[in-house]
Amino acid sequence: MQPSPAALVAALALPFLGAVAAPAVHRLLGERTAYFAAAVAAVTFALLAGQYGAALAADPTASGISYQWIPALGVSLTLYLDGLSLLVGFLASGVGVLIFTYSGGYMHGEPGQAKYYATLLAFMGSMLGVALAADLVALFVFWELTSVTSFVLIGHYQRTDSGRYAARKSMLITVSGGLFMLVGFLVLAFVAGQAPELARTLTLVGTPDSLIANAEAVRSALEARGLFLPVIALVFVGAATKSAQVPFHIWLPNAMEAPTPVSAFLHSATMVKAGVYLVGRTRPLLLPEVAVPEWMLLVATLGLVSMAITAILAVGATDIKELLAYSTASHLGLIIAGYGLATEYGAETGAFHILNHAVFKATLFMVAGIIAHEAGTRYIPDLGGLRSELPITAGITAVAALGMAGVPPFNGFYSKELLFEATYEIAAHEGGLFWLYPAIAVFGSVFTFLYSIRFLMLFFGEKPDGLHAHRPPWPMLAPPLLLTGVAAYVGLGGLAGTFGYKVPVVGEFVAAVTNASALHALETFGYYVPTTLSPYFAMSLLTIALGALAYPFYDRIHAGVRRARAVSVTSPNWYYDAAISGANRLSPIVAETVHNGVFRRYAYTALAAVCALALGGYAATGATVPGFDGFAVSLPLAVVLLTAVLGAVAVVRAPSHIAGVLTLSILGFMIAIFFVLSDAPDLALTQLLIETLVLVLFLLVLDKLPSWYGDLKRREAVADAALSATVGVTVFVTVLLSTGATPPDPIWEGLAERAPVPSEHGVWILDAGGGNNIVNVILVDFRAFDTLGEISVVAMAAISVLVMVGMRARSEDVGTTEEPGPDAAESTPEGGETA
Amino acid sequence: MTAERETTVIARTVTRVVVPIILVVALALLFRGHNLPGGGFIAGVLTCTAFALVYIIYGSESLRTLVGASAGGDGVLAGLPGAYARLFAVGLAIAAGGGVAAMVLGYPFLSQTVLYLSDVPAVGAVTKLPGIGTLELASAFVFDAGVYLVVVGGLLTIISVVGSE
Repeated sequence: MQPSPAALVAALALPFLGAVAAPAVHRLLGERTAYFAAAVAAVTFALLAGQYGAALAADPTASGISYQWIPALGVSLTLYLDGLSLLVGFLASGVGVLIFTYSGGYMHGEPGQAKYYATLLAFMGSMLGVALAADLVALFVFWELTSVTSFVLIGHYQRTDSGRYAARKSMLITVSGGLFMLVGFLVLAFVAGQAPELARTLTLVGTPDSLIANAEAVRSALEARGLFLPVIALVFVGAATKSAQVPFHIWLPNAMEAPTPVSAFLHSATMVKAGVYLVGRTRPLLLPEVAVPEWMLLVATLGLVSMAITAILAVGATDIKELLAYSTASHLGLIIAGYGLATEYGAETGAFHILNHAVFKATLFMVAGIIAHEAGTRYIPDLGGLRSELPITAGITAVAALGMAGVPPFNGFYSKELLFEATYEIAAHEGGLFWLYPAIAVFGSVFTFLYSIRFLMLFFGEKPDGLHAHRPPWPMLAPPLLLTGVAAYVGLGGLAGTFGYKVPVVGEFVAAVTNASALHALETFGYYVPTTLSPYFAMSLLTIALGALAYPFYDRIHAGVRRARAVSVTSPNWYYDAAISGANRLSPIVAETVHNGVFRRYAYTALAAVCALALGGYAATGATVPGFDGFAVSLPLAVVLLTAVLGAVAVVRAPSHIAGVLTLSILGFMIAIFFVLSDAPDLALTQLLIETLVLVLFLLVLDKLPSWYGDLKRREAVADAALSATVGVTVFVTVLLSTGATPPDPIWEGLAERAPVPSEHGVWILDAGGGNNIVNVILVDFRAFDTLGEISVVAMAAISVLVMVGMRARSEDVGTTEEPGPDAAESTPEGGETA
Repeated sequence: MTAERETTVIARTVTRVVVPIILVVALALLFRGHNLPGGGFIAGVLTCTAFALVYIIYGSESLRTLVGASAGGDGVLAGLPGAYARLFAVGLAIAAGGGVAAMVLGYPFLSQTVLYLSDVPAVGAVTKLPGIGTLELASAFVFDAGVYLVVVGGLLTIISVVGSE
């Protein structure tokens, strides 16, 4: 069933329009812009919610809505709404409403609010774009837009060093990951397009000839070329950088520099879910139905490892937001591991945990914001016993943190139980090393339990002296309260399931989300608190028991993790910092080497690079110089060419600039005569005039130069001669190759046919040039766009001359004339005398 | 060139005679470009040589009087360079504007057409007279005129700025 195109387009466009309007609204409403943005998000949410029925009945072969974008390249703007994209859309808009409301309280008195709300709205639109776009190029564009907006939001406090460091780090890692993903997409689309039974398409899902609708054929096409695993790896790198998976997780803790609402929104509920979404979306395409697919070995393994490592790192955190950041990476690892496992429970794990994690983690982030705002610190050892002063917040935290810990009957328990079930099933089926899957899952979950309880204990125990918290304002309290309500509802649904009841919405919605990534459609999805001891329930109980046993030693584990973290060789941060500082040292060296102000160096680098590229290109393409079959030169031509050569030799021998320029023009005029002899009047005219003009220009400039040449060192003379010879050889070879490589049906025939007035024509001639001078007809009619570019260059050259001279005049006014360099006299026309 | 250096009477007299001829030839090249060797670019460069000649022989002051540029203005745009800069700006606008006009009429950007006047009844009679021949109006001429103005304006800007250094 197709969703309403108008609703989807409106839902996608509205946040962007809101972003454009935000600065003006901020001027009118001031800090109440938060509620304007919340209203935009609410309308978007309502528009998406209206398509709930259509999304649940989505058909991956037909439900897409296509608009043309770049038809020449096969790029479209295809929108597709199914359970998974609706869930991500709900997270973006629904959590968006809460975050904007929360910002109304949190951002009180903060600087840069117009920028903040505009960027946050633009981010929300980009995230909806990621969820709705079914075209690979459109998906990539929205994907990178989320990275860019995230960059701006992380760097909200742009004057702080840590803010800049964090923003740059997230940008470098997520954007470069996105480029890997783009390469993966292009390989996917183009290799699949070469298969005989497939049309080349960039559409991922939603149309009859989309990639997912023909998943089987696409996979065999990729496998035939040996590119199946590379595509999985490339796409997974994109997902792993975005979703902060090991070893790319390092940007997420730094991203906590952003204001807390941004962390709650981008770095827990939405943007980091983009990677997870991509994994879930491409799962039916890249996961073949074999016992041990490559997909599982790569995605599930890395997901589980990430989950365990980042859970351990979370225990080592001393800042509540840092703890939550590592915990987010860990739960994303859980979701990715779920999608990676090749069983139906795997898809259910991913789908259900996206929902659960977004609900409890956004809540906990908002709680962290409340603590930071009202208690004035985020340092864990300084916090404790906040229950007495923040009772409602404590209640909220209990529901959310126990969900995060995976304690029954709270919401996170059910999805973690599904992961245990999936890993156990794989292990029981495959045996051997696959038993590591459930082992790592339990191991990582123990640490999850530990840090969740630690977070909860901020509200219990003894209160440190001097810690006082104020009651938060309602705009900051209502949103987490509402999300906790959702979490509790999902949790109660499980309890109800135990007694055979079904709460509305959750089951059918999660089933629809699962179906977007599952290989076989799921009719319904049920979950409940188990009443019998199954192996996976035993795994859950084991996790809780181990966690409870280890909790008294939390401080020791915490210290151990911090010691391990300080080892530089195993820390991805150390490699990142080393690479960045290395690049920072390298760039000035390169700049000073290439751009040192000496004319000779510029000429050398530019000319030598052109020669190397051209000759290298010929060598790489295996171009062969056509055979030599004797001279066919008439006597006048020979005389002209000989004179030209003599002129060239005379240039080198000339004792002064003036003599050199005059002899150089001998060469130029001989070429003009050569054109005359070769029946090319247009070229001859142009050459003649240009030669004249250049001569005049040269003489004007030379008037200001010293009339003698500087003393030339022997070494420089030899180098100059070598470079000149190389340039000469390059040009010679280029001319030979380009004239020798005339294609069998040259385009000049078509041009010559269409240029003159056709024999039969009406009063208006539209399809022919109507002129006898083919050269000019080409210039002003057939290739007028090229000519427009060329005259723009002429205009630009004139403007640059004006600007350069104008700027020098300004610097002279200030009295900061540049010191002429050691080579200034020989290198720049203005050297010494005029300055 | 520096003002102190006197130019000879011969050079000045020849320039007086030659410059108008150059300008007329340049215009001829521009107008006939569609059917015979010529065109906006060549005509533009040729026009520049005429100006360069006046400039070298008579100096920039007399050139300014000739062009009619004001002596005032800001910074580098004072006097001649300002007039030239306006010239290439207008030229660029004409060239691009002609292309946009084609789009307004529903054709791709920079599409050109030819009005074949010999087939238009009223004008057709004139073309039957001896010595006239066929007549056509090419919309490409608008573009060519733009090219001409850009080349003249651009090159003269460079020459005048470099020359005044």
